[in-house]
Amino acid sequence: MINFTLSKAQEAFRDYAHQIAVEEMRPISLECDRSEKIPDTFFWNMQKRFWAGSAAQARQQGEERQQNVLSMLSQEEMAWGDAALSTAIPGPGLAAPPILSQGTSEQQQRFLSLFMDGQLHWGALALTEPGIGSDVAGMSTTAVLDGDEWVINGQKHYITNGARADLIITFATVDKSLGRDGIRPFVVPKGTPGLSVGRIEEKMGLRASQTAELLYDNCRIPRENLLAGREQSKKAGFKAAMGTLDATRPMVGALAVGIARAAYEATVQWIKEELPRGYSSFKRREIEDELEEMRQEIQMARFLVWRAAWMADNRMPNSKEASMCKAYAGGLVMKTTAAAVRITAPGETSETRLLIQKWFRDSKVFDIFEGTAQIQRLIIARRMFPRVEIP
Amino acid sequence: MLHFSPTEEQEEIRSLAHSLATEQLRPQGRASEKDGDISLALMQTLTRTGLTSPFPELYGGSGPIETITYALIAEELAYGDGGLASNILGSMMGPLTVALAGSEEQQEHAIPPFCDPQTAPTARGSLAFAEHTGGYTLAEITATARRDGDSYILNGSKRNVIHGAQSALRVVLLRGEGPQSLLAFILPEQLAGLRISPDLEKLGLLAAPSASYTFEQASIPADALLSDQNGVLRAATLYAILRAAIACGTARAALEYASDYARERVAFGRPIVSYQGIAFIIAETAMKLDAARLLLWNAASNWDKGVDNATLVRDAEAAQFQALKIGKAATIDALQVMGGAGFIQDHPVEMWMRNAAAME
Repeated sequence: MINFTLSKAQEAFRDYAHQIAVEEMRPISLECDRSEKIPDTFFWNMQKRFWAGSAAQARQQGEERQQNVLSMLSQEEMAWGDAALSTAIPGPGLAAPPILSQGTSEQQQRFLSLFMDGQLHWGALALTEPGIGSDVAGMSTTAVLDGDEWVINGQKHYITNGARADLIITFATVDKSLGRDGIRPFVVPKGTPGLSVGRIEEKMGLRASQTAELLYDNCRIPRENLLAGREQSKKAGFKAAMGTLDATRPMVGALAVGIARAAYEATVQWIKEELPRGYSSFKRREIEDELEEMRQEIQMARFLVWRAAWMADNRMPNSKEASMCKAYAGGLVMKTTAAAVRITAPGETSETRLLIQKWFRDSKVFDIFEGTAQIQRLIIARRMFPRVEIP
Repeated sequence: MLHFSPTEEQEEIRSLAHSLATEQLRPQGRASEKDGDISLALMQTLTRTGLTSPFPELYGGSGPIETITYALIAEELAYGDGGLASNILGSMMGPLTVALAGSEEQQEHAIPPFCDPQTAPTARGSLAFAEHTGGYTLAEITATARRDGDSYILNGSKRNVIHGAQSALRVVLLRGEGPQSLLAFILPEQLAGLRISPDLEKLGLLAAPSASYTFEQASIPADALLSDQNGVLRAATLYAILRAAIACGTARAALEYASDYARERVAFGRPIVSYQGIAFIIAETAMKLDAARLLLWNAASNWDKGVDNATLVRDAEAAQFQALKIGKAATIDALQVMGGAGFIQDHPVEMWMRNAAAME
């Protein structure tokens, strides 16, 4: 039965996440954006609150498979609070999907138990290189087996949390001539000799989020750090990369929805409190109509995200739907924040307006990372026309 | 709990509507456009399926069904042909409004002709909603009904009333005296002060004959009022939801038709869909159609759940707005994908594009 109602437990979890966004994120949002730094207290508070939250969650939910739906609910709230801060919440983050989908149970235990000791830990995913983005088949970072160790050489960039991550899932090719079939995911722990951090990028938005370059110079890791897939197939590496993206796109979509909602709500509030007196009723009506359309589009983006996450929880292939929600939400957040900047432009400088401007800067990347708007359309089209080669 | 697929029972009804759409409505779309109405044979077939009589069994109907199911059926019918779907559902809105808002007596009188297999194929109902602004939102209703002793005095005008001229059961939505007051009346067959003029030349939806009404101090007895005001509001909202479903069906028809064409049509040695310039247009339409359909399903499930009226109306009108938007965009883009062939009437896409524009 088609149903758009969240369960009581899901609502409670969302409200809990919202509370965190209000209390821990909004108050430091502008300052972290200015300084490009995040105070340690934030990490510790998030650590504590998320532990408490997920423990309560686990008790309530038992074995029900709804991890994706729960994550997307919390992602929307976190991004409503501050999308940059949300990327810095301690935990395995983007490193989790490849470990879970391609790691043996021994590997899952070995790598994920690190995150259970109550200290601050992060994971990172290193896929992008200066020469490749979505076209992972052209990867240059290499991995060569030497005795019991893999030797990794190459360069990765635009890695979220790259400099603070305790382990970095690094995609590298074991044989360039194999194209995408030669790609494998490796777990590279922080402090491995030969691994170093290059530049930390200065960005237009999400400035408090750490975006690092990683350099691998004869970086040696144990042979057992290859995530070979349970079936040990050749395609495991590529599948891990793509599978990670299918799982994370709805989350990125949820983040975009969160920012768009924040901008929409702030604009509605601004209209109520500060709309210049001189505005004609016609002008006011025009703005209200635009806001209603914004609300509808945010709702549609949210439903697309919910559907993709729900499909993932129910083990349905959702690659097309994941791309749809990401593409739609990525475009929407740009449009919404740009409209919010324009509508509130005549206002006095205020925290609200500074936040709206920040959200506008933050939002552009949602049309870019995890596959640009164009890559998403390409994926959708390829899924719609499986028998046609769409280069 | 979130869930994004229909139940098995709904899937069965949908697949029945789908086969009707592909076997009957789609092939008859062009001819019905020329005739300006649905064929008797198709109405007879529809009557047999029971899809057009979701009325209480007491009156011979096939029993009320969920709105979400109705949205699925409407989308399928419009996937076959938007003009015919508008014809069918436009007629149904007359008895549906009586079923939702009328007294037992009014229902007993109005509904059975739409259920009886003998009379149903020729029975026509109508619900007059839109006015000079052309939109189907409650705020756009300005024609008034003013109480005057045992009668009401009607003033104002209605436009694009599907089956407005020939229907035996004419229901009209009007503004009462309070700002929130929405009233519906069953119009008597003859009414002094009402002028009905059939729409002769239309851009689209030619298979759904329509008319305009002008009320000038028309006086009708108070017992013509459908007394359940909440039911009136729910009927009006249902019309918005069904129109959204028709728009989604039209968009889907165009999307699939253009997709098939783009898969077959070769240019510069390759199917044109293999060019990103074409593939992206199609991907974009698919994405926006899914988005609009989710909004529609949300509105329909609100109707079934019985949320508060403000939310019900807001979400239904939102769904209608977004569905009409994608209906128009999808048909225009489909025609573009087909190039010159899209402009020619051998293909139905130009008709769908005119239909989508007329709906909006």
